[in-house]
Amino acid sequence: MSRARRSPRMLVLALACVMLGAAAEWRRAAITGATAREPRLAVKPVAGAAKMPRLVPRSSQRIPMPDGVPAAHASALTVLPSGELLAFWWAGSRESAPDVSLYLARWADGRWSSAQKVVDRAGLGRQLGFGVRRIGNPSAWVGPDGRVHVFMVATGLGGWAAARVVQLESADAARSFTVRRVLPLTPLADTSVLVRTNPVGLDDGGWLLPAYFELRNKYPMVVSFDADGAPRWLSRIGRSTTALQPALLPVSGTELRAVMRDIGPSHRVQQAVSHDAGRHWEDVAPLDLPNRDDSVAALRLANGGYVLLHNDTLPGGSPRQWLRLSTSADAQAWTPALDVQRGNAGDEFSYPSVQQLGRQLHVTYTAQRQAIGHQVYDIEDGEGAP
Amino acid sequence: MTLPELGLQILWARLAWGVVGAALLLSLLPLRGTKPRAAVALLALAAMWLPGPASPAWWLGLAFQQPSGLFAALCGVSVWKRFADRPEQQTLPLALAAALVAGGLVLYADAVGALALGLYPWGFDAPQAPVAAVVLSVLALAVIVRGRQHAAAWAVLLALTFHAVTHLPTGNVFDALLDPLLWLWALARCVAFLIARLRGRATVAPTS
Repeated sequence: MSRARRSPRMLVLALACVMLGAAAEWRRAAITGATAREPRLAVKPVAGAAKMPRLVPRSSQRIPMPDGVPAAHASALTVLPSGELLAFWWAGSRESAPDVSLYLARWADGRWSSAQKVVDRAGLGRQLGFGVRRIGNPSAWVGPDGRVHVFMVATGLGGWAAARVVQLESADAARSFTVRRVLPLTPLADTSVLVRTNPVGLDDGGWLLPAYFELRNKYPMVVSFDADGAPRWLSRIGRSTTALQPALLPVSGTELRAVMRDIGPSHRVQQAVSHDAGRHWEDVAPLDLPNRDDSVAALRLANGGYVLLHNDTLPGGSPRQWLRLSTSADAQAWTPALDVQRGNAGDEFSYPSVQQLGRQLHVTYTAQRQAIGHQVYDIEDGEGAP
Repeated sequence: MTLPELGLQILWARLAWGVVGAALLLSLLPLRGTKPRAAVALLALAAMWLPGPASPAWWLGLAFQQPSGLFAALCGVSVWKRFADRPEQQTLPLALAAALVAGGLVLYADAVGALALGLYPWGFDAPQAPVAAVVLSVLALAVIVRGRQHAAAWAVLLALTFHAVTHLPTGNVFDALLDPLLWLWALARCVAFLIARLRGRATVAPTS
């Protein structure tokens, strides 16, 4: 038998396998090396010092829910090249119910369209070739070619700790979507990784998608994509195990700040900074803004200023009854600017998303877990146009 | 990152889960003769191609996504052993099991945030990853040439070559060599060895 094992034919075959593998790895390394220029963050230069944005409320409404659907949560905004604003969110009979689906609505000419179903768990399963248990948070981005990329949570066997991130794509302005892939973000059967907040752009047309791990320990991460929507690399944000749902704020071509939900003892908005466009990170001291396990959203405006949506607490109140908007000129020192919603104890206004559309700032958020609220603000300094 | 297409992943998942299913059934069912074994193996392979939830691959994918190349290859070895009537040979040698357990401990501790080494991203795009894959292939070749743990070395070599050519299952070299089910198998193998070793010592220990 030993002779059979060492038969020359088998040895030649084994050697051929090694050479084939080496050639394939060489080719892959050459392709990766040829495209290895690290892109910078897409930050438009601003003449003079960045201005603290001044916001004036313009309108307030709710996005129409699908008929007969009582629960909604976790909206995400993005803007089409046509100037149409898209809102994605999940809705169903209750969180984690089998009928929860991902929906979208369009904001054009000052009003929302009716809700359009993007995908449900049966449709996802058909395209993926395996089952999906729950549908969760979306995040959305429009590539330089106009394709809409939606990253959404779809769980395996278990709760949110079994979450995976599925990448959908639309080439027809979000009228139809196809599944592109499950993002491979952990070695644990791709589980326990979620998305929540919006990507930020890179100067080569790619983008950085914020994500986070959530299985007892919670830590933030970022995934780099090229302009075609193919993942390039994956990086953990800092070393914290009590920060999640990072919202990214580009400061320069290379400096990127992440502000994050906190589940640690500090009860402050957590923070990390990268000086190489997101590839490597260091934790920095938390912001002087309260955070009691609440999701945040943040955006760099076209005039170089920054906005941050976050929950605050009232004495004797409940954690998510007060949703505030703070502003900053440098993404470090923040000043509360206005209340997006200030409800009574037990109310919930949470999980915000924010986008700039011309000289308007659009904010969406979960309203009482029943609908998606929408506030529009005028950017008064006149320098907010993109 | 160089990732495989979704369609290729779906094909791989069905084929690989079929091999895993065949290995499991053949190890559990006391079948004699080639024909009954072939029938069971074909049944396991065919069942994975049933549509939607009728396919075991639908549910296995829900829980575990896709098996690693090494897990599928070792299951292939297990199936081959049944047909070749060589059940006495270890499908998963102790040295390989120990390496998988140790490597998996570090990789999974990093993945759950207990460490902050960034190992998993390294498996996609670090310049050292292809070098490590080639070095491991050469080591497997050396084991084959020496004629020891021949089948398991072939499994490692095939898993690495398959990953290099197709990037399956995920584009990450760690996913080619390890998955949670394989790690549990390796752990069980090591624990079984330790228990047998302790029992052996207890049996031969002198009484005074």
